[in-house]
Amino acid sequence: MLKKLFVFILLFTIGYFLVNSLKSIPLGANRVGSIDEPTTVSGYYLNKSPNALKVANSITAVVVNFRGFDTLGEVTVLFLAATGLASILYRKEDEEEEEKHTHSLSKRLNLPSSSLVRTGAKILFPLILLLGIYVFIHGHLTPGGGFQGGAIIATGFLLMLVSYKGFTTNHNVMVWLESLAGLGFVGVGLYGLFAYGSFLQNTGWTGNLNDLISGGFIPLIYIFIGIKVATELTNVLDTLLNIKPRKK
Amino acid sequence: MVITPVHYIVVPLLAAFAIPLLTKIYKDAARLIPGIVLFYNIIVSFNLLKYVNEHGIISETIAGWQAPWGINLVITPFTGFLASMVSVLGFIIWLYGYRFKRTLKGGLVKYYEILQMMMIAGSIGVIITGDLFNMFVFIEIVGISAYSLTAFYRGRDGAEASFKYLLIGSFASTFLLLGILIIYTQTGTLNMAQIAERMHEVPQHMKIIALIFFLISLGIEAEMFPLNGWAPDAYSQAPSPTSATFAAVVSIAGVYALIRVLFTLFDVPVNNYLMIMGFVTMLVAEIAAISQKDLKRMLAYSSIGQVGLVLIAFGIGSKLAVFGALFLMLNHAVIKSLLFMTGSYFIYNTDNKKLKSLNGIHKRLPLVSFFFSLGALAIVGFPPFAGFWSKFYILIAAGDARHVYLIVGVLGVTIIELTYYLRIVGRIYFAKEEEEPASHKPSINAIIAMSALALFILVIGVYPDLIMQPLNQAADALLNKTHYINQILSLN
Repeated sequence: MLKKLFVFILLFTIGYFLVNSLKSIPLGANRVGSIDEPTTVSGYYLNKSPNALKVANSITAVVVNFRGFDTLGEVTVLFLAATGLASILYRKEDEEEEEKHTHSLSKRLNLPSSSLVRTGAKILFPLILLLGIYVFIHGHLTPGGGFQGGAIIATGFLLMLVSYKGFTTNHNVMVWLESLAGLGFVGVGLYGLFAYGSFLQNTGWTGNLNDLISGGFIPLIYIFIGIKVATELTNVLDTLLNIKPRKK
Repeated sequence: MVITPVHYIVVPLLAAFAIPLLTKIYKDAARLIPGIVLFYNIIVSFNLLKYVNEHGIISETIAGWQAPWGINLVITPFTGFLASMVSVLGFIIWLYGYRFKRTLKGGLVKYYEILQMMMIAGSIGVIITGDLFNMFVFIEIVGISAYSLTAFYRGRDGAEASFKYLLIGSFASTFLLLGILIIYTQTGTLNMAQIAERMHEVPQHMKIIALIFFLISLGIEAEMFPLNGWAPDAYSQAPSPTSATFAAVVSIAGVYALIRVLFTLFDVPVNNYLMIMGFVTMLVAEIAAISQKDLKRMLAYSSIGQVGLVLIAFGIGSKLAVFGALFLMLNHAVIKSLLFMTGSYFIYNTDNKKLKSLNGIHKRLPLVSFFFSLGALAIVGFPPFAGFWSKFYILIAAGDARHVYLIVGVLGVTIIELTYYLRIVGRIYFAKEEEEPASHKPSINAIIAMSALALFILVIGVYPDLIMQPLNQAADALLNKTHYINQILSLN
């Protein structure tokens, strides 16, 4: 009890000073300064993304181009997380054979879902896919992008995995899509390195602001990210949903 | 084709994304490709080091945006030295583990090799990046691979160690992100050179808060006391090549990140803090090591102790001390990898990790026992070996700075270190043998890897002048902050 009180007082003190100091940061205030002659990176990005890159959504310009290397890193983090999960949950074939027989929990989960759920899922699935594809293709024009679009597509697959017993994704197709999307991202980066001398450098041709095909490589990279995120998240869901309960 | 720093990151990434496809065509691709990639990184290292020696600092822009605006990768003599060291050791560890992983079935090899390769590539990324947020991304890459590899042998203990590591590591990531956020709100930039340039404008209380966030988060990565609770479990539960990588690659990257942030970014003096925490880390770790009954746990505690000594040396802060610290980082990485590699063969042959089963093992594994004893003597700091020189220079630096109590303390802790290492060497050579299980001889690639490390220990021990020059330049590059800032902000 005394220990808990002590911890509470300590946390309260630390929290008090932290909040007091953080309060002095004028978050939300306009501190960008002059956009024409920027001194901070944010001002520079706001200046360059419509003028130099012809990208309407400045956030996409930051994520895919100015800090594209970070995004490549984040895509890798996701890839490694999926790989790590697969390595930990990997089961040998013979183990799976033994575990086919029933377990009370899995038996309950394996009951087929009602026809209402199944029909609804079937109607919604293509629409969800369409929305996801729309979000990542229009990433440079409207809010959203590869990560969001990919996550939406993965929710569509989750819906199917949950409502249809025995629904599986084609593992081969997934591996191909995932690898090719990743290689595509790095490949676009390498094209920049060889053609213009800097990794991930955008092409000189950028089109007009607000066109679907504009911004050079930015939409292309977001499509690759969208495919990669969608396949990886689907693989993660597939791995997690197909864990069989351990034998006692 | 001109070799640039970005090759360090891009080539492993290409390989990691391609391995799932290539294994469908050729089954051994998963095991061969990381070796080729890591070897290519050694070539990159030597090319870049040569270029830096002739032309000065390299700062490569990414996506074509100049240094303060976009992300840049920086090779100075300091980062170049660490990146080369990590590349060479990464390749040697791959060579060691090449046949070791032959026992694994099918798909697992693929996952293992991808994670292991990306852990090394991510560590190189932490070292060469010149951008604070980019460093965070690479720390994430290293972290995610490390958590998965810790749980790779899917036992109960492995899962526990991995979960612990995951929790503490996520805590570190969150704090690091908060620190970066505070710095960003105050300076409006993420480029490390520009942050360093603008740091004097930041109000003192903000600086202190950001510093605390960085010290906690990077202290976890660098295994500083009392934030190193994850390390002994993770080291002892991971597969042995991974344990060697933790000691030789991941901890080096962690210490680098801490030192870069404290030395370059902040202008707050933290020397006393580093010395005190370094000493406490060392003392606690070595005392814990002496009571361990499990070989890999003991080596893990010994690693933490070495990191403590590195922090002490950085805390002294003179040029000689930084030189000694870098020398010790190199020695620690080489010797501890050798100890983990040989230790792994002991465990493989006795089917348990207990120290007791090492009795008289030199009859069954003469070469491995020899290498282990060499490593044990070298890491304690016996004169003809490499470990002697690093400790020697650190103690001289402590003397120059009039830190007499530090000399006494470090020597006192060295006695503890000596005790438990000699106890094991004694067991290996002089204790009575209890049983004789079937012997697993080391494979040829493992022998080559271990011999390379042992040769390094002997050659540097007898002739330390070989690496004096790069170490001196590296220490200069770290300490000369103004030069770093000016070079990065004017190069492009």
